[in-house]
Amino acid sequence: MENLDAARLQMAFTLIFHIVFACIGMVMPFFMVVSHYKWLKTKDQLYLTLTKAWQKGVAIFFVTGAVSGTALSFELGLLWPEFMKHAGPIIGMPFSLEGAAFFVEAIALGFYLYGWNKLPEKFHWFTGVIIGLSGVASGILVVAANGWMNSPSGFDYIDGQFLNIDPVQAMLNPAWFTQALHMTLAAFTATGFAVAGIHAYQVYKGRRVALHTKAFKIAITFGAIAAILQPISGDISAKDIAERQPVKLAAMEAHYNTEKGAPLYIGGIVNPETQEVKYKIAIPGMLSFLAFGDFNAEVKGLNDFPEDERPNVPIVHYAFQTMIGIGSLLMLAGLLYFISLKKKKWLTKNKYWLFFVLLAPLGFIALEAGWIVTEVGRQPWIIHKIMRTKDAVTPMPGIVFSFYTYIVVYLTLSVAVTWLMIRQIRVLNANK
Amino acid sequence: MLYVVLFFLIFSLYLYVVLGGADYGAGIVELFSSEENQKITKKTIYRVMGPVWEANHIWIIILIVILWIAFPAYYNILVVNLHIPLTIVLLGVTLRGVAFVFRHYDAVIDNSQKLYDAMFKISSLITPIFLGMVFGGLISGEIKLTEDVSSLTFYEVFVQPWFNIFSILVGLFFAALCAFLSSVLLIGESEEGKENIYIRKAAIATIVVFVTGLITFIYGYSNDYIFVEDFIKDAYAIVAMLISGLLLIPLWLAIKKGRRVLSRFFAGLQVFLILLAALISHFPNIIITETHSVSLLENIAPDSVINALGISLIIGGAVILPGLFHLLKSFKMIKILDRNNNPST
Repeated sequence: MENLDAARLQMAFTLIFHIVFACIGMVMPFFMVVSHYKWLKTKDQLYLTLTKAWQKGVAIFFVTGAVSGTALSFELGLLWPEFMKHAGPIIGMPFSLEGAAFFVEAIALGFYLYGWNKLPEKFHWFTGVIIGLSGVASGILVVAANGWMNSPSGFDYIDGQFLNIDPVQAMLNPAWFTQALHMTLAAFTATGFAVAGIHAYQVYKGRRVALHTKAFKIAITFGAIAAILQPISGDISAKDIAERQPVKLAAMEAHYNTEKGAPLYIGGIVNPETQEVKYKIAIPGMLSFLAFGDFNAEVKGLNDFPEDERPNVPIVHYAFQTMIGIGSLLMLAGLLYFISLKKKKWLTKNKYWLFFVLLAPLGFIALEAGWIVTEVGRQPWIIHKIMRTKDAVTPMPGIVFSFYTYIVVYLTLSVAVTWLMIRQIRVLNANK
Repeated sequence: MLYVVLFFLIFSLYLYVVLGGADYGAGIVELFSSEENQKITKKTIYRVMGPVWEANHIWIIILIVILWIAFPAYYNILVVNLHIPLTIVLLGVTLRGVAFVFRHYDAVIDNSQKLYDAMFKISSLITPIFLGMVFGGLISGEIKLTEDVSSLTFYEVFVQPWFNIFSILVGLFFAALCAFLSSVLLIGESEEGKENIYIRKAAIATIVVFVTGLITFIYGYSNDYIFVEDFIKDAYAIVAMLISGLLLIPLWLAIKKGRRVLSRFFAGLQVFLILLAALISHFPNIIITETHSVSLLENIAPDSVINALGISLIIGGAVILPGLFHLLKSFKMIKILDRNNNPST
């Protein structure tokens, strides 16, 4: 394996891992404080049990997210020293603010976890809110830094030099808002459906139904609202990409030739050699409409761009289709949940619960697919149109060994954390 | 603004060495304890470190972020030439953090605790050793800066800078320092009647710090290490080291009299002086390569970046430091206001 490939795979692997933990660590505190709030209001013991169970989950995920995040903050430089040498100062602003937000989160978490019966009730609850808010702030700031890689701004690039650096403008780059909005909603959708699915499974199995139904309702409410709002944010993102990174949009849709009234492909198998997409469903004019709000607008195809400036089309296309497909399904599931609030009879049906159990992993699959779209879709650039990924990689050979080490360590960690969660739930169910 | 940035850089380095160091040290103390004392230590560590250890480790993130934003050329040498020990540090940090949470949050207490404990203790020892080796590597004069890597072997460029006797000695010295900090901290936190465990540990750690420090110096001096030679010629560095050594006397008096706050203050001051001595004799040329010294201030980020960073740090500091202080105080790490509280409650 070449050094560049090994470095890219290691980065992808650690990011895929970190994203899951970071999202759960960022969203679960909100479930926890809602349950905590209900406990304070109703004094229903079940809510206290639930809050304490979720708090353990938050602690475990926060730490795994924090350590994998620490690893990433080093990896940026360890794997991409050339990139960090030039980009580090420019996108330092969101990272330094993220450091501060993360610090606030860690302090609030310390107060929350160890503050039971020690701090005033309301202040204690409020520290939980701070955990959630600072977590979301961290997420937004990191995504803003990623947005800069897609839409570099806040400097003048003259003769290979980055001059007149404006860190604030770099942070508030054209992509930051659309990306941050899309990601925040995605985090709530993915975590909401995942947590709801786990509790739905317990209800399905008939274990502590009253407790798990309460848990399910809190988690799914967040997930459902986010899933219903997500298509709006997706639409904003599509129009934004059509403007800024037309080649990425073309890869997402495996759209090879420039045309007016371009069709939207749903599914399909891409053959990059013949530039054909087989077994697809084509909706005429739809891609033009989604990208520019006009059924007849011209959408640039991949062939309009030099061959060495195109990303890997099949990967981006399949990832995009996966994201869109799951996103639509989860939006419908969200609507279904709100209908079920009126139709109480559904809640007694096993099929209802099984449906949500099956949805549990999908949100995260869509979220990872979305990141593959944006990251693989930006290739071969590490900084769009400025620096190629291959020019940023470390001169140290043998990254493949570090890649294998990370695989072993992170896979072991994933297994261990899953196992720990299963044990938490078992104990929770046993303590009637 | 550059001074603000430099202040925060050294401030977070210092806090990481003291707070993170005490945290690593706790694992080292546990590792070198008898089985019975390990159980006591584990409980004490959880009570003392539990609420604050995550915050302690964020200092290294702040440190690294300041480095890459303001001192990109310096950071570049660090991540390219010391890639391997830094990766090992990262794996250590990961395993250690996870083990800490697993052993205290696992819903079922069974044999897997043994595995978590082993993971925690071993990574607590290895991580600071490699951190020390990174610092040792920076000043060892073994780093080779060359555009053309192909004329040199992998070992010469990526291994030798940190894998040499001097760097390893610095690593051992730093690990001993961590154990020392932690034992001093734990003396004041132990359950009634168990203080002697940690007093003994503190005594052993003091000796190990002294011995490893001395060997590092003698080895460095007899092998003509530039850093050690400059250090010995620098009057300020020597005075700082002497004061740090002399502080052992009031430190031990404070420990004997059970003055927890005062003993922590002295230990913290000692580490500050050691750090000061290490930085002052060669500042700002903190990287010493085979051929020349690289200044921290070489190829520094432009003013607009430094200014923005300085402002962010001031704002961030204003938000974080009071909160952090309150957290430490609430959970009795800082006992200035509630000295008479029984630590076991």
